[in-house]
Amino acid sequence: MRRGLALLLLPAGLACAGASAGPADPALPRFVEETATSGLTTAYQGDWQYMVGGGAAVFDCDGDDRLDLYIAGGEAPAGLYRNTSSPGGALRFARLPGMAETAVTGAYPLDIDSDGLTDLAVLRVGENLLFRGLGDCRFEKANADWGFDGGDAWSTAFAATWEPGQDWPTLAIGNYINRREEAFPWGSCTDNWLHRPKGHGFAPPLPLAPSHCALSMLFTDWSGNGTRDLRVSNDREYYKGGQEQLWHMETVPRLWTEAEGWKRLRIWGMGIAARDLNADGFNEYFLTSMADNKLQVLTPPEGQLLPQYADQAFKRGATAHRPFTGDDLRPSTAWHAQFEDVNNDGLADLFVVKGNVHAMPDFAAKDPNNLLLQRTDGTFLEAADLSGALGFATSRGGAVADFNKDGLLDLLAVNRWEPPQLWRNVSTGLGGYLTVALTQAGANRDAIGAWIEVQTEAGLQRREITTGGGHASGVLSPWHFGIGAATAAKVRVIWPDGQASDWVQAAPGAAITLNR
Amino acid sequence: MRPPGPLNRRGFVMGGLAGLGLTALPRPALAMPDRAGAVLGNWYRLLLELIRHTATYSPPVAARSFAYLGITAFEALATGNAALRSLAGQVAGLGPVPARAAGAHDEACVLQAALSHAMAVHFGNTGPTGQRAMQAMTRQMDALAAKDIAADVMDRSRTHGLSVSQHILDWSATDGGAVIENMGFPYDYTLTEGPAHWVPTSTIAVQQHPLLPGWGRNRSFAIPADGACGLPPPVAYSEDPASAFYAQAMEVYQTSKSLNNTQKLIARFWSDDPMLSPTPPGHWVAILLGIFERDATPVDRQAEALALLGMAISDAFVQCWRSKYEHDLLRPVTYIRRVIDPNWEPMLQTPPFPEYPSGHSVQSGAAAAVLEVLFGKGFGFDDATHAEDGLPVRSFSGFAEAAEEAALSRLYGGIHFPAANIQGLAQGRCVGAHVLRLNTRA
Repeated sequence: MRRGLALLLLPAGLACAGASAGPADPALPRFVEETATSGLTTAYQGDWQYMVGGGAAVFDCDGDDRLDLYIAGGEAPAGLYRNTSSPGGALRFARLPGMAETAVTGAYPLDIDSDGLTDLAVLRVGENLLFRGLGDCRFEKANADWGFDGGDAWSTAFAATWEPGQDWPTLAIGNYINRREEAFPWGSCTDNWLHRPKGHGFAPPLPLAPSHCALSMLFTDWSGNGTRDLRVSNDREYYKGGQEQLWHMETVPRLWTEAEGWKRLRIWGMGIAARDLNADGFNEYFLTSMADNKLQVLTPPEGQLLPQYADQAFKRGATAHRPFTGDDLRPSTAWHAQFEDVNNDGLADLFVVKGNVHAMPDFAAKDPNNLLLQRTDGTFLEAADLSGALGFATSRGGAVADFNKDGLLDLLAVNRWEPPQLWRNVSTGLGGYLTVALTQAGANRDAIGAWIEVQTEAGLQRREITTGGGHASGVLSPWHFGIGAATAAKVRVIWPDGQASDWVQAAPGAAITLNR
Repeated sequence: MRPPGPLNRRGFVMGGLAGLGLTALPRPALAMPDRAGAVLGNWYRLLLELIRHTATYSPPVAARSFAYLGITAFEALATGNAALRSLAGQVAGLGPVPARAAGAHDEACVLQAALSHAMAVHFGNTGPTGQRAMQAMTRQMDALAAKDIAADVMDRSRTHGLSVSQHILDWSATDGGAVIENMGFPYDYTLTEGPAHWVPTSTIAVQQHPLLPGWGRNRSFAIPADGACGLPPPVAYSEDPASAFYAQAMEVYQTSKSLNNTQKLIARFWSDDPMLSPTPPGHWVAILLGIFERDATPVDRQAEALALLGMAISDAFVQCWRSKYEHDLLRPVTYIRRVIDPNWEPMLQTPPFPEYPSGHSVQSGAAAAVLEVLFGKGFGFDDATHAEDGLPVRSFSGFAEAAEEAALSRLYGGIHFPAANIQGLAQGRCVGAHVLRLNTRA
C-alpha cells in the first residue's frame, strides 16, 4: 500500500513541475547544494539532552556586509564561522578560533547594549551565556558585566524585545524538561525566564509560570496595535495541563485566558514563523509540530480583536505533514520554520526544516525539508525537490539568508550528527528584490519590533522585525523583499514606538537603510 | 475492609452480580511480598505515561496493550499461585503458559522479568525519552526485586518471567493489532457515499482517513467470533426537522449552547485525548491503580483485576470499532453545520472516525461491568486521573455512575449523538458479561 502511494506521489510532483510555467504557480528558484565545499563542519551532537535544539545564529560579526554563522554543536564545541563568500559566488566559510563552548543548543543575534556591535545570546544545557560583540567576530562573555543570571536548565527557546521606555532589552528564555528526571520526566517542565532590564544590565529572572516546555518563543505584535505580547510554542510531549501560550507583557506578565478569547491548542510545538502574508495588518503564524503543523490565520469574532486563529495549513497546502518524496511516508517531524521570499516574486515562501527526533520508528527517518512557494492565491507549492533544495538529513535549526549578497536567499539546515547543509540559490530570471536595514540612535539600534512596508504596483508587503522564533535559530540582517517584475518600489518603516517614516523610493536591487 | 468471604470468583460471578467485593475473595495461598506490588505498580505508572507519549497509542491500541500486559502479570503470578487459574484455554488462542521450573521462585523477580520484557516490546516504538525511562525503571526495579534474594532464585525467577512474557507476546502477535502504521490512519481509504456517512472533521492531514478501520476484525479475548455484542442500527438519517435524527442533533446543539460549568468540567474530565492523557482505557486503569493504592490491594488481586479490566476494555474497542465501521455514521459537527448552524463549534475536538457507538461509552460500560463484580456495587472511589493536568479529583459512589458520566460527557462535548452513548454503554455491558465468564480463580 505504501509503495503504491509512493508511486502515486511521484507523478504529482512531476505534474507540479510541469505546471510551474502556468500562471497560477510561482517561479521556481534553483538551488545547488554546497555543503561539502562550504567549510561548515559543526555537527549538532549528543544524545538525549540534545534531541531538541541545534540552532544557528546568522549575522554580520565583522562588519563586512556578509552574514557570518554561529552554529550550535550540542555536546561538541559550537562553531563560529566567518563568511568568505564572494558576491554571487560559491558559499564559503572559515572557522574562527574561540566561541567553542559545549552544551550549546541554539543562539540568537541581537545588539543588547546598543553599541552598534551585534551581541549573541547563547542557549545551553547548563548556564546560558551572553556574549558582547567586540567587532571583527570577537566576543567576550558578558554575563557578569550585565548581571545576567544564566541559570542551569535545558534552554531551548529565546525571544527579545525592547519594552516601552526601556533602553535595554527584555529577554525571554524557554526551558525544557528537568534533565535530571529519568523514569518520570513527563510533567517536569522547568520555568521559563523573563530577564528584564535593570540599569545597564538585567534584573534577576522572573519565572514565566506556568511553563510548558517551550521550544520556540516570539515577541510579536499579533494584534497590530503596537503592543508586543509573547507567543510561546510548547511541546505537549512533556507538559501536563499545558497548551500554547500568549503572554500579556505587563508589569507582571499574565497569560491570555480563554475568558479573553484565547483558544486552547495543544501540539508538539517546536518552532514559530511569523509573517503578514496578505498585508492585512495581522501576522500569520506557522507552528511546527509532528505531522500536525499549523498555519494560523487570525479569525476573531466580528467586531472583536481576540487572539483566535483558524488553521489553514490543510486548506492552503502547507501541512508539510509527511515526506512529499522518497519512499518513507511515515509522518514528519518539523522544527525550524521561516518565511522568506526565495523566488523574489513578492510573496513570502516557507522553509520548514525536518528530522526524526531520534530513531522514532513511527515517524519518517528520511524526512525531507520543505520549501513551500506561495502562490498568488495564498496556497503553497512544494518545491524543495523541484528546485534542488532536497535534504534528507536529521535536521533541527536553520536559516534562510542571502549569504553571498546576490539578492537571492540561500538555505541552511543544522543537522544532528552531520555537518550543516547549505544550498546556494543560483536562480536566474527571477524577479527583483531590495533589502532594508534599520538603524536608530540610542537603544534598540536594529529596531526590533518595527514593521517594514514595501509597496509596489503588485501590492503591499509588510513584515515585523523580530528576534526569536524559529527553532533555536535567529537571523539579524538587512531584511529581504522580493518585488517581482516591479521597476520601482517605495519603502517605509513603522518604528517600534509606532512612529512611521516617510516613504522612500527604491529601485530593484537597492539596499535601503532607514534610520532615525 | 470487609472480612474475606467464603466465595471464590466463579461462585460470585455465577451468582449473578452478587455485589461481593474483591476483598471478599479468599486470601492467596502465598503471602506476596510488597516488592512484587511495587514492581507491578511502578511499571503500570510508567505504562500510563508511555500510553500517553507514544504516537501509535490511540485508545484501541492502548486497550490492547493494557490487556496483554495485565494478562502477562496475571499469568506470571498464576503459575506460582494455586489459587489462581490460568486464562490458557479460556481466552481465544492462548495455549498453556510455561510452567515454573523446580525450585523456589520470587514473585517480585518473576514479575519484574516479565513486565520489563513485555514493556520493552510493547513500547519498542516509543521515543527517546520513553526508552530512557524504561531503562531507568528496569534498573530500579531490578535492584528492588533482587534485594536479599538468592542468586539461584533470582535467576530461576527471571527465566520464568521472561518465558511467560514471550509466550504472551507470541500469542499477541497474531491478533491483528500488533502492527500500527501511520499512527493508525490508513494511507488509502474510500469514504462511504451518502449524507449519513462519516466524512473527515479535522484539518489535520493524516486524519482525512479514519482511525483503524480494520480494528473490528481483530481477535477478541472473550467475545465469540460471531460478534455477540452487535448493536441495532443508529437512528435513521434525515434532515427533516420533524425526524428523530434531527431531534437528536438538535439535542447535541442545544446542550452545547447551555453548558454549565459542571457539564464543561465533565466533558473535559472524560475527554481523555490521545497523546494528552492516558486515553479512555487508561483512565479506567488509573482509577484501578488509585484503588489499589488506597486499599493496599494484594498483588495477585491487582494482577487479576488488571487482566480482567484490560480484556474488557480491549474487547470493548474491538466490538465498538466493528459497529462503527458497520454503520459508518457521520459526526454531530458534520450534521449540525450542514443542517442547523454552519458556524457551530463543539466543545471537544471531534475524534477522527465514525460516530456510532461512542467508544468511551462502550469501554466504560465494559469496565464498570467487570469492576462492579470484582469490587461490588456501590464501591466508592476517587478519580484523580487528571490531577497532574490540573483537573480536580472527582468522587464516584460506584463504577456504573462513573461509566454513565463518561458516556454523558460525549454529549456535553458535542462529539456524539445521545444514541451512541446509550447504546455504547449497553454494548459495553455485553462485553463485560462475556469477560466475567472467564475464571481467574481455581
